[in-house]
Parts: sequence; structure tokens; C-alpha cells
Amino acid sequence: MEDEYYSVESILAENQKIQCTFKIDIPDMGHLEGGNERDIKANNKIPLPLWMAYILIYSDYADFTIPAPFSAKVRNALNAEAKSVRLSGLVGAGGLWYGFGKIIMKLLADAPANEMSNILTKTFKNRLSELIDQAQHFAALGPAGGGQSGDVAQNFREGLDGTERELFSLAQDSAKRTKQWYESTDRGRR
Amino acid sequence: MALPVPLRTSVTPPELELIASEQLVEIIPLIAMERTAFISGPYGPLRPPTKAKVPIWMATNLKLKKKCHIVPPSWLSVDFLQERLALETSKAEFSQLPFRFAEVAKIILDIAPDDVENPDKIRYLLKDIRQARQAKSREGLQMIDHNELSLANLCSMEINEIRPFFVRAMGVLTHITREAAPAEPQFDGF
Repeated sequence: MEDEYYSVESILAENQKIQCTFKIDIPDMGHLEGGNERDIKANNKIPLPLWMAYILIYSDYADFTIPAPFSAKVRNALNAEAKSVRLSGLVGAGGLWYGFGKIIMKLLADAPANEMSNILTKTFKNRLSELIDQAQHFAALGPAGGGQSGDVAQNFREGLDGTERELFSLAQDSAKRTKQWYESTDRGRR
Repeated sequence: MALPVPLRTSVTPPELELIASEQLVEIIPLIAMERTAFISGPYGPLRPPTKAKVPIWMATNLKLKKKCHIVPPSWLSVDFLQERLALETSKAEFSQLPFRFAEVAKIILDIAPDDVENPDKIRYLLKDIRQARQAKSREGLQMIDHNELSLANLCSMEINEIRPFFVRAMGVLTHITREAAPAEPQFDGF
């Protein structure tokens, strides 16, 4: 989630495409479109990987539309019940929805960026307690514990994005360690 | 970092127990010993019917060799814990308990249950208190933001349990929250 040049997470979060509309003609770059055209014409819409889109947007060669994982439809669903949205389904398995959102947020102007930030933080907070609850529940079950705790819970787990998965395992490990300690004994020690 | 992954996020519970073992506890020695210098300082003299104050690590060592009785601290009693449990379940904030009560209580109940009055009842009370407090720190999770979270009277073991994912969650929030101040120069993505 960091900006650092060497952050693998940050690189992975950029592994998404966004729809760009070119504002000018660009000669000899038609292969980006995947077609046989030689040049990119103004007003052509092409999905570009984020790392390339950056420079085009900042240099004012292209505009972009808010990508599908943050579309109005998804926003409405998040507003209604953040826990039932499958974030992993939006950005692909192991995808980083929050990381992606953060990059988009940086590309946006002030007002829509604030809105984006609100959506991200609200979603994160709404999902956090369920996330921790489930992590602690699974820590209590022990290594053999199965995931038979209802469809809703399982759906939620499968819908976690990469960042949330990491939090899940942090919480689970920590709860496990503490539980182990409470059950251990020092009586054999002398 | 060369440190194993589970050790990077927080201290382990056994390490906390070790730290707590430096605290002094009263014992009734069954052997005589002159005042002796240890690395952490001089302790003793032990004269059998008289009570003496020694660190917990020494008390457990002597106890396991049946060379002393441990006098449990005043808060490790049914009356006191019952009162704290009542406070814990009736008030919204955490009740005041010694900072390392979980560690000290565990050691004494583990090593010297015969020196404590009604150890089983105390175990149940401690468990109830722990669960009541856990429910509260779970609620605290909902108030989390990127700057601070204040949970007064949280004890060392509890802090340690929630530390890894609270820290991570706040880190994520820092990244997805937009500051009101104008954003840094736009090219920081490169």
C-alpha cells in the first residue's frame, strides 16, 4: 500500500487496467489497442495498465473513467452493506482493492478524491470488525477447524482483498499465540 | 529482516511473562538463606517464619522445589475480582487492574494453586473478566481512525494481543485517508 519504489505491494496494486480516452493523436502506437491500426486517434478508448496511464494522464494526453471496481453500482452496494461485497471479485484473486483505490484517488481532483477516500475508509472500517471476529473465531478453532460457519461468513472470507487477508492472518496468529500461552503451563520447569 | 515472521509484529506472551516475573511477590520461605546478590539485585535474607519479598521468578523456582509458600497479591482474591467483574460488565470503560495482572495471575495459579484460596473460582472470574474486556476492545475497533485510538486501562497482555492488527489497520487507514491540506506534488508515484 506504500508509495515506495521498491514496495512489491504497490507494484501489484498497479496491476490493473483503466479505461483511458486519448485527447490527441499518437502516431505509431496503434499496437497498444491490440488492433491493426497504425496510430492512436484522439477520442479512442483503450484500457491501459495503470503504470502507463499515470504518465499519460499527468501529461494531459488522455482522460480516464473511474474503473469498474469503484463504479456507482459498487458504491451503492458498499453503502448498503459493505460486508456483503466481494472485493476480491472486483480486482481479481489476491488483488489489492484498497491499493488500487488509493492510486485512483491520487489521480483524481480534490472533490472526487475526497469522495473516494470516504468510500475507502468507510468500507474498511465497516468490514474490519467482522474481519477480526472471524480471524479470532478461526484461531480458537485450532488447525483442524473447518469452515462450516454459514454461507454468509464464508462468502465474506472469500471476498477479502489482499490487504484484508494480511490483516486476517495477523489477527489470527496473534489470537492463537495468546490462547496457546493461556493454556500452557510452567510446572515442568525447574 | 532475519527475525522470524511471528516475532516481527509484537512481543510473544512468554516474553511478557518473563518481564512480569521481575515483579516482587511475598513468600513464606521454608528454608533459610542469607542475603544473596543476584544480577537483578540482592534478595533475602530468608528466615523461615518471616515473610520475604522476592521476584516472581525466584518464588516459582523455590515453590517448585517445595521450599516456600507464595502469598498471593491482594488483588488475586475472589472478592476483589468479583467486584472488578461487576464493574467490567456494568461500565463502558475498562476497569483498573494491575498492568500485568494476566501474567502474574497465570504464573501464581499455575505454580502455586494450593497457596491461593479458591483457585478454580478465581480462574473462572479471570476468564469472565478477560472475555468482558475482549468484547470492549472489539468495540474499540470501531472507533479506530488513522491517528489515534485510546483505550485506557488496557493491560499488557491485551495490548500485545491486539497490537499487530491494530497497527496494520491504522497503517492502511493512513494510506486511504486524504488529508485536508493540499496533496504533495503529483509526481510522487514515480
